[in-house]
Amino acid sequence: MSIIKVMNRLRYLIAVGVGMCISWISRIVSYGAGSTWPGEIALRIYPNILTVLKKRITKGIICVAGTNGKTTTSLMISGILKSSGYTVLHNTSGANLVNGIVSTFFHTWKKTDYAVFEIDENSLPKLLDFIHPDVLVLLNLFRDQLDRYGEVDAIGSSWRATLSICSEKTTIIANGDDPMIAAVTEKLRSRVVYIGLEDTTYYLPKMQHATDSIYCPKCGKRLTFGGVYFSHLGKWACGACGFTHPDILITGASYSSPLEGVYNIYNTLAAAATAEVLAIDATLIQKSLDSFTPAFGRMEQVIYKGVSLRILLSKNPTGFNESLRTVLASATYGPMLIVLNDRIPDGTDVSWIWDVDFEQLNTYAFPLVISGDRTHDMAVRISYAIDDAKTHMESDTNLESAIEKVVTTAKAGETVWVLATYSAMLDVRKIITGKKIL
Amino acid sequence: MKTKKEYTITIGWLYPELMSTYGDRGNILILQKRCAQRGIGCVIQPIDFATEEKVIEKVDMVFGGGAQDRQQGILIDDLRKRKGPVLKHLLDSNIPGLFVCGSPQLLGHYYMTGDGKKLEGLGLFDMESRHFGNDKPRCIGNTVISISDAYKIEGLSYKNTIVGFENHGGRTYLGSGLSPFGTVLVGNGNNAEDKTEGAVYNNWIATYSHGPLLSKNPHIADFLIAKTLEIKYGKKIKLSQLDDARMWQAHDEMLRKLGV
Repeated sequence: MSIIKVMNRLRYLIAVGVGMCISWISRIVSYGAGSTWPGEIALRIYPNILTVLKKRITKGIICVAGTNGKTTTSLMISGILKSSGYTVLHNTSGANLVNGIVSTFFHTWKKTDYAVFEIDENSLPKLLDFIHPDVLVLLNLFRDQLDRYGEVDAIGSSWRATLSICSEKTTIIANGDDPMIAAVTEKLRSRVVYIGLEDTTYYLPKMQHATDSIYCPKCGKRLTFGGVYFSHLGKWACGACGFTHPDILITGASYSSPLEGVYNIYNTLAAAATAEVLAIDATLIQKSLDSFTPAFGRMEQVIYKGVSLRILLSKNPTGFNESLRTVLASATYGPMLIVLNDRIPDGTDVSWIWDVDFEQLNTYAFPLVISGDRTHDMAVRISYAIDDAKTHMESDTNLESAIEKVVTTAKAGETVWVLATYSAMLDVRKIITGKKIL
Repeated sequence: MKTKKEYTITIGWLYPELMSTYGDRGNILILQKRCAQRGIGCVIQPIDFATEEKVIEKVDMVFGGGAQDRQQGILIDDLRKRKGPVLKHLLDSNIPGLFVCGSPQLLGHYYMTGDGKKLEGLGLFDMESRHFGNDKPRCIGNTVISISDAYKIEGLSYKNTIVGFENHGGRTYLGSGLSPFGTVLVGNGNNAEDKTEGAVYNNWIATYSHGPLLSKNPHIADFLIAKTLEIKYGKKIKLSQLDDARMWQAHDEMLRKLGV
């Protein structure tokens, strides 16, 4: 062995050793940053660490990217694999940058059959430099925190560049209803399996305001839509350059979603398509999906003081619109708590709330409580959307008393719906479960 | 029963699908509701590729939001060549206008990109913008500016501050004949050098404040409505006072957070 090779090996071992120690200590003292720091430090010691660590995964690596639905989809995939008897390494949503994925490897010494990683949209190209996944799931691209993520088109172009280097060994599961996802996955060396709803009963009566890719990603002309499921997802076509909706292999009718919400049908299809590629039997896939328990804050149900609460992370216009649509379509709807924060994970600019169609709440007959760092901004937004005479809205900058208020208004059999941005969702959970998760 | 409204204004909204980056439509929703609450009719006229000049020249107010790079690329030729002359006509006829987000870059003479490419603007405002690449940081954050008494509306509560949010890489420099919209108290404003924010010419307001500028600034919303009515009907029309407690609470809370 040459001296360079020995030195390299030594650096790798030091990086892993240091990373595992920090990971172990931070989990013992349950220090929140334990999910990213071990990986960050290991990467500084040995930048190529993932190319070695990935060998600990014996059967396959699955990566899930997209603006909305990463956490739910990857949890579903992980669940299906586990119920098929495999061991799975899986990162948490707070650790979806490259450093978080490295940190996840430090959770165990053992080799695992599969790894399921959700990856931040901007970090996908960087991750693919080190790992060529066996299955790559591309869910959607919506505007989300422009101050942090940049424009949808810019992310699309960087994905396109990076996907062209993936080989035949990678199978891509792509949402064909999203024109941008269809454009970035066109004519690749990898096999692409398109998923889509193909169900006109989910068409919206009219297009929502929060859309991004309604102009052809290839030629720039306006796309036509035979129908829209939400945002710019639908049966689209370009009349100018002929770019059309790809043929859908796995449709909404193939599997049934364990969670309410149209967006969760997409998550279900993406997870099922991934499992199909990994040769798992369809009956087993559905059986595992049926027993699915949502990830924290993603349609999660918590009982607090005898009242059933549903927490829906709602972090961008499209996500928020779909959360509202889900609440209004639910058989058990009741009082609602909306919490808006403007910390770094939420985005410091709250302008996006004006792209959400709160006008849906125009005749909402249940009490509405507003809280969070930007309580007043949200109260102004909703007061312009609702009819004060019909909907009772109250704002309270103190989250604890806001939760008390909304919970005490709930009558027997009513569910309290909590719609919150990322850090707000964590705050709410901390208050009602009494413990911190991240 | 539908009764005919005594006063009705038509707001022309430039490319609603393309120039709508981050909550820009909030301004339209706010103007609509504030008119409705006062019994004033408010019609929204989208100004798109196919909208004819004779339709555009009839609007009583113009609104423009911000465009992302690709979207701006799709519309810029149509905007400059086919909409430019009629927009100039509206500006010269004192028709009020509100332009937010990247508008200072679009309304001015040109925008120099980070790699030295000169993009022609509409040339309606005597100002120019340039991007200094990585030499100068992006201007991001909450802003407060102070404005002059020119925006005061008789009989309505009034503040001389405006709170907003800016997010721009380019910097804008005003020509000698152009007044700024206000003076920067918190934030960067046009260029982070001369304390100016935005620009005003005739009855058009251009500002780097993006998204829903009018949400925490009801006085500016009312200024635009009052001015539009005045120009259209040739007389001052008294606006009734609305309950803006929530809006001013949001305004004041931001002033408090930023220590103004």
